[in-house]
Amino acid sequence: MTPEDTRRAVRTENLSKIYQQEAEEVQAVRDVSLTIQPGEFTALAGPSGSGKTTLLNVIGGLTRPTRGQVWVGDQELSELPNRALARLRLDQVGFVFQAYNLLPVLTARENAEFPMLLQGVSVAERTSRVDALFARTGMTGLEDRRPGKLSGGQQQRVAVVRAVASRPALVLADEPTANLDSASSDALLDLMDDLNRDLGVTFVFATHDARVMNRCRRLVRMVDGAVSSDETR
Amino acid sequence: MTRPDSSSHVGVILALALRNLRRQVRRTALTATAIILGASLLVFANAIGDGTHEQWIDDGVRTGSGHVTIEHPAFRMSRKLEDRLAAEVRAATVAALATADLADRVTGISEQLTISGMASSAAGARPAQILAVNPEAEAAFTTIDEQVIEGRYLESDDRLAAYVGVGLMDQLDLRLGSRLVLTAQDVEQEIAGQLVRVVGVFRNGAPQVDQRVVHIPLGIAAEWLGTGEDVSNIAVVVADSTKVSGLVSRLREALAEPVDAGLATVLGWRDAMPALAALVAVDQYGNYFIFGILFIIIGFGIVNTVLMSVLHRQREFGVLQALGLTPRQTGAVVFVEGLLLTMVSTLVGVGIGTGMTWHFFGDGLDMAALAGDAMSNMDLGGVLMDPIVIPVFSVVRTVQTLGWISLMGVLASVYPAIRAARIDVCESMKFDR
Repeated sequence: MTPEDTRRAVRTENLSKIYQQEAEEVQAVRDVSLTIQPGEFTALAGPSGSGKTTLLNVIGGLTRPTRGQVWVGDQELSELPNRALARLRLDQVGFVFQAYNLLPVLTARENAEFPMLLQGVSVAERTSRVDALFARTGMTGLEDRRPGKLSGGQQQRVAVVRAVASRPALVLADEPTANLDSASSDALLDLMDDLNRDLGVTFVFATHDARVMNRCRRLVRMVDGAVSSDETR
Repeated sequence: MTRPDSSSHVGVILALALRNLRRQVRRTALTATAIILGASLLVFANAIGDGTHEQWIDDGVRTGSGHVTIEHPAFRMSRKLEDRLAAEVRAATVAALATADLADRVTGISEQLTISGMASSAAGARPAQILAVNPEAEAAFTTIDEQVIEGRYLESDDRLAAYVGVGLMDQLDLRLGSRLVLTAQDVEQEIAGQLVRVVGVFRNGAPQVDQRVVHIPLGIAAEWLGTGEDVSNIAVVVADSTKVSGLVSRLREALAEPVDAGLATVLGWRDAMPALAALVAVDQYGNYFIFGILFIIIGFGIVNTVLMSVLHRQREFGVLQALGLTPRQTGAVVFVEGLLLTMVSTLVGVGIGTGMTWHFFGDGLDMAALAGDAMSNMDLGGVLMDPIVIPVFSVVRTVQTLGWISLMGVLASVYPAIRAARIDVCESMKFDR
């Protein structure tokens, strides 16, 4: 790998993912070769079943590719042991999910601090980062609420804070606006756009929401698991 | 950024496990209640079971040949006068029992001459089991002196005195102060008679005791039968029946010479009273069987709670792994939940069980009040069992109970933990609940 490669946030090479559904093989991702540079604000777009979520999961180390290779930073993921994959997810990747996926037993603050707790970040540092991000996302005053006491938009903002507070190089967001109304969606996209510009965090979205596609500066369209177009604006 | 070695995430796993237990308050409380009840019941059943066995053993050994008996090897089968302990073996035994390391363990010693003979009066003659004893030592050893219904037990300065069972009294039409002739073979194999006078009457409750047993002073028997300082056996009672084997070994060492010469044998109560040992063992195994069923019920309770919790939290486990926990650490969250639930509930259960047993039954549980006359006259081979059972609390038993339930908790948490560790992260986050 050349020094240039290590500056890339994500790189996939001939990446394929095949699922076995009973007797049938389903090819969710087909020979995708893609490079995403640090600081990009990219959308993987396509209809349901186009393979965008699967591609995001492979990039995030949540599932392993059937064929091909995937790098996050300078680490190739396909052969990494479980423990190293978990460490990579912890240190380098932040996730935002469609269904928010906050831990129900933790408060908003505890959810936001959770990855930093696993990283061993000091209490003072965790508090400082979360306070700053909560202030920026309009969540100040809601820190002690459990997810069940927050609206969908508020939960998703906590999820975004959780994803970026641990200072990952890459945030993967799977349909982050799908459960939000348009005002909440716009506010969330503003927030992520700001974080991308201010902190230099790379964002990759899997989406079929036109608002997300319009906000992204790069749009990778997928059809039947393969990249059909790749457009930088 | 401070970055200590946080790779095991023990604190996080523990905190998550505790939070999850608190989140499902009703489920946790129900399972904890089941474990607490089970543990309490086990403590109670163990204390009563051990108390019952200790009672049986105590009653048995005090009526019979003690926790440990030193006797001639042939005496147990023959019950004959000629199979007796020689005076020098008797002296060596008493000396060994008086040594500092043994004296502390011993609570009673009975030196007896057991004689099969006849008891006769003007009303007739009846077979009798004549026990020649040292009155003072015997009073400390047996409970028969407490069963007096008329007169008194033997005293150390008694000579021609007899303490007679109420059945034999009736059969021979005797009264307090009546004369009675005891007849048996002496050491020369000649029939010899001895006149004694009734000083006390007892009612044991076991017919074979009440109708046959006569206690007389050892000194008068020695003169009557010419046995000198010899005795049939020396019975020893100890404070703790579980420590018998050590005493037997120690006495065998001390009496190695007569034992090797075939002049004496040292037997623990299990060898001397195999029927009683078998009864205790059968009852104990019955208890173990019940306890086993109880353990299985508790185990299923834990599996059910933890597994249901796992099945309802697929998404959460997926999120934990997405955020950086390994599959093993995710499983550990579930495992620790099960373990915490079990350990805390068991400790509470053992505490409650011990407290309640002590509070309500510390002075004894009257089985006769529960089971009626059947228990109040429980006669096992001539040994009348006391229906009042004093619970026995044992640290070993308590630790065993804690250990077994904890082991059950560990085993019952393993499968749910494996299920949690093996989830498909992507699929679990699709799980819509």
